[in-house]
Amino acid sequence: MQTFYHALLPRSSLSCGSLEGEVASREEKQLEASLDALLSQAADLKNSLGSFIYKLENEYDRLTWPSVLDSFALLSGQLNTLNKVLKHEKTPLFRNQVIIPLVLSPDRDEDLMRQTEGRVPVFSHEVVPDHLRTKPDPEVEEQEKQLTTDAARIGADAAQKQIQSLNKMCSNLLEKISKEERESESGGLRQNKQTFNPADTNALVAAVAFGKGLSNWRPSGSSGPGQPGQPGAGTILAGASGLQQVQMTGASNQQQSMLSGVQMAQAGQPGKMPSGIKTNIKSASMHPYQR
Amino acid sequence: MEAPPVTMMPVTGGTINMMEYLLQGSVLDHSLESLIHRLRGLCDNMEPETFLDHEMVFLLKGQQASPFVLRARRSMDRTGAPWHLRYLGQPEMGDKNRHALVRNCVDIATSENLTDFLMEMGFRMDHEFVAKGHLFRKGIMKIMVYKIFRILVPGNTDSTEALSLSYLVELSVVAPAGQDMVSDDMRNFAEQLKPLVHLEKIDPKRLM
Repeated sequence: MQTFYHALLPRSSLSCGSLEGEVASREEKQLEASLDALLSQAADLKNSLGSFIYKLENEYDRLTWPSVLDSFALLSGQLNTLNKVLKHEKTPLFRNQVIIPLVLSPDRDEDLMRQTEGRVPVFSHEVVPDHLRTKPDPEVEEQEKQLTTDAARIGADAAQKQIQSLNKMCSNLLEKISKEERESESGGLRQNKQTFNPADTNALVAAVAFGKGLSNWRPSGSSGPGQPGQPGAGTILAGASGLQQVQMTGASNQQQSMLSGVQMAQAGQPGKMPSGIKTNIKSASMHPYQR
Repeated sequence: MEAPPVTMMPVTGGTINMMEYLLQGSVLDHSLESLIHRLRGLCDNMEPETFLDHEMVFLLKGQQASPFVLRARRSMDRTGAPWHLRYLGQPEMGDKNRHALVRNCVDIATSENLTDFLMEMGFRMDHEFVAKGHLFRKGIMKIMVYKIFRILVPGNTDSTEALSLSYLVELSVVAPAGQDMVSDDMRNFAEQLKPLVHLEKIDPKRLM
């Protein structure tokens, strides 16, 4: 971030005399990097807030609840990343930095206009108190002081008791609400809004992991040694297994044994494998490299 | 005396051990639009990417009880894209603090004669399916929302039928071994999809 009208002074340099040259420059680099990150996060947040407001103002008659939820989720995600950037260990403590204005002028400044996207045209006496302020309004400060003195006056034990009773009341209320919701008819509506089915999840995961439910699935225990499966030939057609068993009884030579080996794989499903054909298959396909 | 070389081990080449961190869930067809909308907002800003892939899973049965599994994947809608060969190891279970499924992963791009090569090596195709869906990215995380289609006639990818009425949602990261904070980031992202999709680590052995 360029510093032209104001200077960003680390508070530490005001107190101690001289810092090591490299430490200072490393801190400066860290500061710049973290400021850049913050700036980009804040810009993203501003953009999504802007688009949400636009959506609310212009499309309010067509707006659906999922769309609003999406915007909220987006905003919360961006706030999360902003918090993460602030908490990052490489971010220096901004509390230790002081901003002081160096030059105030009533003239219009084009550079400043460009940097602030036209929001701040002049760096003058009116703008600075608002933009560089760190304390809240006097009335707000008064109220805050009032609240803190009230809180201090109560005493630790009483405060703890009040906190506990508040928590208890909140949990009671939550329980009542959830019970009411469960019993009322909106529970029936909830069924419609169910967005995922756990049984489907399991089926899909099993399909991707080991092919359960896909056409070539064989249970893990039943496959014989070294089956000569032609590509894609393992289809289990339940209706055809009777036909294959008939063909198997006539198998004797190598060629036919190869074929019936494949069919045997399917008929092997219900576990009926005549041993004669099995030995044929063994000799034919035990060592795929030795042909 | 000269200083010994930087590495005392013989340099044999090889790759860094990459692990795949995985969270899975599903979403019903009618809620797909809401999920896509939310993912478009949460993920990196890019053109919405769809894919249509044909995956074949090959087994090599050796003397050991468990066969060696390789997955070959080809893109059906992008001509000229290389085939993708992937090995996935057994998931590392046991660590309850780890929020994602972790398994060893080796990815290789290959030319088109992959299936012939695997057949000659002795692999046999176990099953195949077609995956059609959307792909999103957020940093190193990859989110895939896709529907699995069963292939009715082996080898013919035109005759397919959907396996279920849901789309599978997978959140995965491929990272070098030992980076467990990746699973924390994945869990935080999964929280943001919460009421729509429940992403969790599902142990495939439980579903056998």
